[in-house]
Amino acid sequence: MNALLQVCQQQLLAADAQLPGHDALSIRRFRQEAMQRALQTGLPTQQMEHWKYTPTRWLTESAYAFHAGGCVGLDPEDLKALLVARGQVHHLVFVNGLLSLPLSGLDGLPAGVQVESMARLARESPEALEPWLGSDVTGADQGLAALNQALWPDGAFVRLASGVQLSQPLQLLFLTTSFREPIVTLPWSVVILGEGARAQVIESYATLGQGDHFTNARTTLVLGQGAQLDHLLLLAESDRAHHVGSVQATQLGASRLAARVFAVGGALTRHELHVALAGAEAECHPDGLFVAGGRQHLELHSWIHHLHSHTRSQQWFKGVLDGEARGVFNGVVRVPQGVREIQARQQTDNLLLSDRAEIAAKPQLEIHSDAVQCHHGATVGSLDAEAIFYLRSRGLDEECARKLLVQGFIDVLLQRVQPAVVREWIARRLNSGEVAS
Amino acid sequence: MNILEIRNLHVSVQRKPILCGVELALQPGEIHAIMGPNGSGKSTLANLLAGREECQVTAGEVFYQGLDLLSLAPEERARAGVFLGFQHPVEIPGVSTARLLKEAFNARQRYRRLPEMDAIAFRDHLGAQAGKLGLPADWLLRPVNVGFSGGEKKRNELLQMLVLEPHLAILDEIDSGLDIDALALVAEGINALRDPGRATLLITHYPRLLDRVAPDRVHVLMGGRIIVSGDMALARELERQGYGWLEEVAT
Ligand SMILES: Nc1ncnc2c1ncn2[C@@H]1O[C@H](COP(=O)(O)OP(=O)(O)OP(=O)(O)O)[C@@H](O)[C@H]1O
Ligand SMILES: [Mg+2]
Repeated sequence: MNALLQVCQQQLLAADAQLPGHDALSIRRFRQEAMQRALQTGLPTQQMEHWKYTPTRWLTESAYAFHAGGCVGLDPEDLKALLVARGQVHHLVFVNGLLSLPLSGLDGLPAGVQVESMARLARESPEALEPWLGSDVTGADQGLAALNQALWPDGAFVRLASGVQLSQPLQLLFLTTSFREPIVTLPWSVVILGEGARAQVIESYATLGQGDHFTNARTTLVLGQGAQLDHLLLLAESDRAHHVGSVQATQLGASRLAARVFAVGGALTRHELHVALAGAEAECHPDGLFVAGGRQHLELHSWIHHLHSHTRSQQWFKGVLDGEARGVFNGVVRVPQGVREIQARQQTDNLLLSDRAEIAAKPQLEIHSDAVQCHHGATVGSLDAEAIFYLRSRGLDEECARKLLVQGFIDVLLQRVQPAVVREWIARRLNSGEVAS
Repeated sequence: MNILEIRNLHVSVQRKPILCGVELALQPGEIHAIMGPNGSGKSTLANLLAGREECQVTAGEVFYQGLDLLSLAPEERARAGVFLGFQHPVEIPGVSTARLLKEAFNARQRYRRLPEMDAIAFRDHLGAQAGKLGLPADWLLRPVNVGFSGGEKKRNELLQMLVLEPHLAILDEIDSGLDIDALALVAEGINALRDPGRATLLITHYPRLLDRVAPDRVHVLMGGRIIVSGDMALARELERQGYGWLEEVAT
């Protein structure tokens, strides 16, 4: 058996009693069944259709260990750059997989908003979690997701009652500190918006230090009737880290989801978005950007399931690749038979800054209905030599000209981020990834 | 010292000789016009002066304020005060005119060892120049030339020139696509930079702009050389007769 699977199985056996929700039969059984699925499915390999571009050797070769979690002597100053301006967002900080209350700040949460640790919830009121245990949209090939389901130690639980509006963004920061021995963390977060509720949730992943670690993350989003969620994901872990994560969203009628992902970090970062549009007039707007350099491998996948008639999706994914980086965009739009009046748009545009960088951009439309308006497009290009000359003729050196053009390329997606304080923070985080500085 | 001096310049593009023996000198304070048939090499000359790599110099020399212009990179020329107004201005998605000009202006300041302008002072400077051209306030925040009409692109070129205050402005068909009011504004802009420290090279097909800026000299570029030079009377003659009568001189 694969070393990682073995470690995980041992963890489940050894630490079972400490895993949150152990005392609740439903959760315990869910974990055990998930472990069984993980063992059956095995870890992903490049033979699996949706993993064929993803290097998987690191999964079998590196030895990731579990860590007791928590933080030792972390100074809030260390986190300054990793959090959107203090005082302007509510924030929960998770360190090496576990919530750190001293580093978090939830002052002034309005009534009707519940934000807490999944671990605590699973221990104290497991029945509140039960409805969401099996709510993933995902299909096969999900050995890693199953591992997360089996072993998640903590994460954020966010619930807005009907009609409640969260006026300040809520940030969930998942921080891993480097150790000599690389660790694996498996956060699971759940965000539930009641009918007509509105919120912005920023989920960000970062590393303190330059080391390798493996984040296997899962986020469940549930949007009630007419709810509006702006979910923003920033993947900016160390250039030696590995990250595989998914966001699973279920949307009821007339709900609106903006799902934005900005991926800049990781030796390998793979993000999957799964959306089930399950009620009339539900719409989702996934945006994505990866900016990769060096030998990074970044992947964005989206699966939009138009399960109900009269639903809309509009996606725009961009990639910027330098050095010997590899990028993958795979966008699946699925419209089953009998579902009507669908609008689905998908666009992916990619910029190669080096002739050794590579991109695989694949729109995949699985439309089994006629009453569908569907558009998709994919472009791959390099920087416009005319534009570089134009900028140089104004006095900008070539490097500055190239930077400005790259910034211009990603600007459209950045400008869609509101409010300005979040947009500027994202821009700074992208800058610290250098390509766009 | 001449602002610009071109001696026996031969230029090829993709191994095809385009300019063969151009001679030209602009003194401080002068405005010269270059006219000539389509494809005669006017833009090639302008691009060469701005440093476009595709233009291969096979012989000759170019001096800008005594500097060997050909030895400088395009950005060094710009910082030293050379400005090219493009015949076909390029669209730069996602980069505002304000951002471009701030980078350009401060690059020039650094090159000249002058203090950079802070964001607020620069915004005021920019706003004032845009006002002169009658450009709307949001213009500066729009991405450079994206979705602009032909005439708007030309006005944007002129705005950049006014902000960067070059010592040598080369304006390649800045008048094409302009409506009558815009033409007057552009002429005003060109005249505003007419001072004893600067010179302008205007490439145009029509005397209507020249009527408003009164060039000191008018040259005809044909067959890769300047075959005849004169004053405004030459421009009027060309307007009446076309270039046919010059063909013998050209060959
Ligand atoms: N990249 C290129 N490859 C091959 N030939 C070129 C290239 N660029 C320009 N030329 C040729 O060089 C010649 C001069 O072109 P240029 O653009 O300088 O003419 P022009 O005088 O500016 O014409 P117009 O009045 O139409 O603007 C033309 O014959 C043109 O086809
Ligand atoms: Mg031309």
